Amino acid sequence: MSSNRFQFNQHSFTTAENENLVQHLKERTKKPVIGYLCCFAPPEIISAAGAIPYRITGRPGRDTSAADAYVEPYGCTYVRSILARAAEGELDFLDGLVISHSCDMVQRLYGIWTYYHPLDFSYLFNVPHQLTPWARDFFKRELGFFRENVEHFTGQKVSTGQLQETINLYNKNRSLIRKIYKLRKYDRPPVEGSEVFEILMAGGVLPPEEYTGFLESAVHDFKRREAAKEKVPRIMIWGSIMDSPVLYKIIEEAGGKVVCDDTCIGFRTWEKDVPSTEDPYDGLTEHYFINFQCPRTNRGPGVGRFNYLLERAREYKVDGVVGYIISFCDPHKFDYPDLRDYLKEAGLPMVLIDDNYSFEPAEAIKTRLEAFIEML
Amino acid sequence: MSQSEMSRARRHLETTKKMKEMLPRFFMRMMERKFSNEPVAWCMVGIPPELLKAFDLLFEWPENFGTMCASRQVAPHFIEVAENDGYSPELCSYVTNTMGYCKLYRERGEAPEESPLPGGMGNPAMLLGSGFVCEPRWKWFQSIATRFFDIPIYCTDPLAPPWDIDPHDPRIEEHYLTLLREDLAGQIEFLEKQTGKKLDLGHLREIMERSHEALAYWRDTLALRKAIPSPMGSTDYFHAIIPQMYLVGDEDAVEFYREMYEEVKDRVERNIGVVEDEKYRLIWFGLPPWFNMGLFNYLESLGAVVAYESTYNVGDHFEVDLSDPLEAIVRRTWQRALKMHEYGSETMPELCNPAVFGGFSGSSLLEELVNDYSLTGGLMHLTRSCRAVSFGEVHTRNMLAKMNVPSLIFESDMADPRFWSDAQIKTRLHAFLETMDKARQRGEIDEL
Repeated sequence: MSSNRFQFNQHSFTTAENENLVQHLKERTKKPVIGYLCCFAPPEIISAAGAIPYRITGRPGRDTSAADAYVEPYGCTYVRSILARAAEGELDFLDGLVISHSCDMVQRLYGIWTYYHPLDFSYLFNVPHQLTPWARDFFKRELGFFRENVEHFTGQKVSTGQLQETINLYNKNRSLIRKIYKLRKYDRPPVEGSEVFEILMAGGVLPPEEYTGFLESAVHDFKRREAAKEKVPRIMIWGSIMDSPVLYKIIEEAGGKVVCDDTCIGFRTWEKDVPSTEDPYDGLTEHYFINFQCPRTNRGPGVGRFNYLLERAREYKVDGVVGYIISFCDPHKFDYPDLRDYLKEAGLPMVLIDDNYSFEPAEAIKTRLEAFIEML
Repeated sequence: MSQSEMSRARRHLETTKKMKEMLPRFFMRMMERKFSNEPVAWCMVGIPPELLKAFDLLFEWPENFGTMCASRQVAPHFIEVAENDGYSPELCSYVTNTMGYCKLYRERGEAPEESPLPGGMGNPAMLLGSGFVCEPRWKWFQSIATRFFDIPIYCTDPLAPPWDIDPHDPRIEEHYLTLLREDLAGQIEFLEKQTGKKLDLGHLREIMERSHEALAYWRDTLALRKAIPSPMGSTDYFHAIIPQMYLVGDEDAVEFYREMYEEVKDRVERNIGVVEDEKYRLIWFGLPPWFNMGLFNYLESLGAVVAYESTYNVGDHFEVDLSDPLEAIVRRTWQRALKMHEYGSETMPELCNPAVFGGFSGSSLLEELVNDYSLTGGLMHLTRSCRAVSFGEVHTRNMLAKMNVPSLIFESDMADPRFWSDAQIKTRLHAFLETMDKARQRGEIDEL
């Protein structure tokens, strides 16, 4: 597989390489790096204000005991991993930090992190949970406060025109990613899920204009590839944040092919463009608040809130769904029984991997997935 | 864990003992209305309870039902039913307790007979949720309305500024107040539609006046616990929340809190403590183990009294202008956010709604409490299934350590006794009390 894997300037886009890359970028451009978590505070605003947005990642499976001095052992292991990294000084290259009020743990990480390890710039981007008209107005106002704070830090004003141009750049990347996803609809997709995932990870570090070039080469490369030799069961991944391709690779080794996903570094971020609106803050609100599919936002009761998933599964001819939930991830854990039953009714089997952000024991996970894939 | 290791609380105050007569009368009245098929709203702490009263709505609190199921040792049964349905054991045990109840209700077509009250919580006609404190709370009601009862639902969504934003900045204030006002208006619109009644502002004002009067007595009662020996312990404190939950705005509730205040005041004047020989004065963090409230009596038998609790405060009393009762609800919420901000809300910025419960946050509040209540130690219950309330305990321990106040974090749960390990917890409690003895010998904490 590796001989056929997409390469860009000899980089792969794992966490460690991304961090090296962002530090080089920082030296090269003399721009500050603002780390962010979750998908509510738009990186477009960070870019337009003259900073480098950097998607912070954890280190799955690594010891998180450095976090014990600040937080309890029971809690999202992804958040603990990030806090441990901050405590150990691994994220000292960040000049600023933006954390969204996405889920409880991520929001609370903000307070503890900035209390014990203050940065030159930090901002909690507050986000309502309900999709009411007033929540929407709040989100839009919050965008304005966020912009002002970033401007104050970088010393660079963001005009409406500049912001729109930056949104256009990001939208171009979104459309290129959708082209890559489209290739996965083929019966024998020419790309591996893990490969696509690494390409998405690159989007968390590369400046948008460089990411465009990267994506264009990827699209070019993929289009010239031959179709996969054989048809294998087609998998969709749904669930908690995943910032490493480990599960994709385990699924591939177990004989499946990940053809699409519903995860936040995955298609949730790239599925749609930021709509073009007269006031760009309306478009950003639509995209980052209304459209962004995270179960932390209330899309009402009833299984209708999962319709988009079933539509996607049909579009990509999915045979089975692999759910991945990190320990203590309440929003996904709440949705699981309803989603499982909804998919079952639609004839789509689902298996749940309940993980403590370690993907261990990998052999046991692989065995379960092999049995699941075999059943498909 | 075995049942024999669990014990129910022994209360010290005559007023809280009298609840045994007062509450059944109230529950009987409620049941009569339920049996005549009046719609019941299932509600969540965080919605202004005065509104429910103003609409003369029958209501139940599934969270409180969880505490009752826990104390009657039936919660594990409901929780296991939910777990078999796919709900993770990591989810809030109040939630899984309710989900088990709902599943059995749907299967049997009536309230499960295992319920602690005849007729249990009945079945809901509407759900009034809240994002106050944590997100599992509104996810919980979303799941109920998806899986068990196809009924109307409204969830409030109070937000507060993070700890490093100046809430006194007029633009920030307006940013948040606008959200709070519109959210409240949405809630009222929902209630008017569901009940077919128009909100009577004059009636709401009267209810709020009585509710605030009760809260003022509660505030003054808590302040009396600064006395040495402490006149009131946790078994009374945690049970005294019930009247404000169910009888909010009633003259009965005002009377209850007035009597409690007078009794506690009398105990202070006569130097009557919960513990005869008070050796340790503790602050309690987290939710209590409702299935084993006798734990507090056990501590008392060792000379340790809890003089302050971080959770289940029935609500803070804020001076607000009640002439516009809706603006008063918004303003007291905001005042709480301001107070929390002043004390440092680095662990829980969203905890801003004082409607029923207080809750705790703030490193500088700790310093004030340690001094005012002459605290010698902190006891922190790390509830595995409630991270929302446990979060910040390590931070709080760090803050207490700076003040040379020892603390103990021990693990269990609020409603699920499967996490209780009696021998281990008691061994750790004994060791902790010895730590306080040693700290006292070293002169790090004061003699009482």
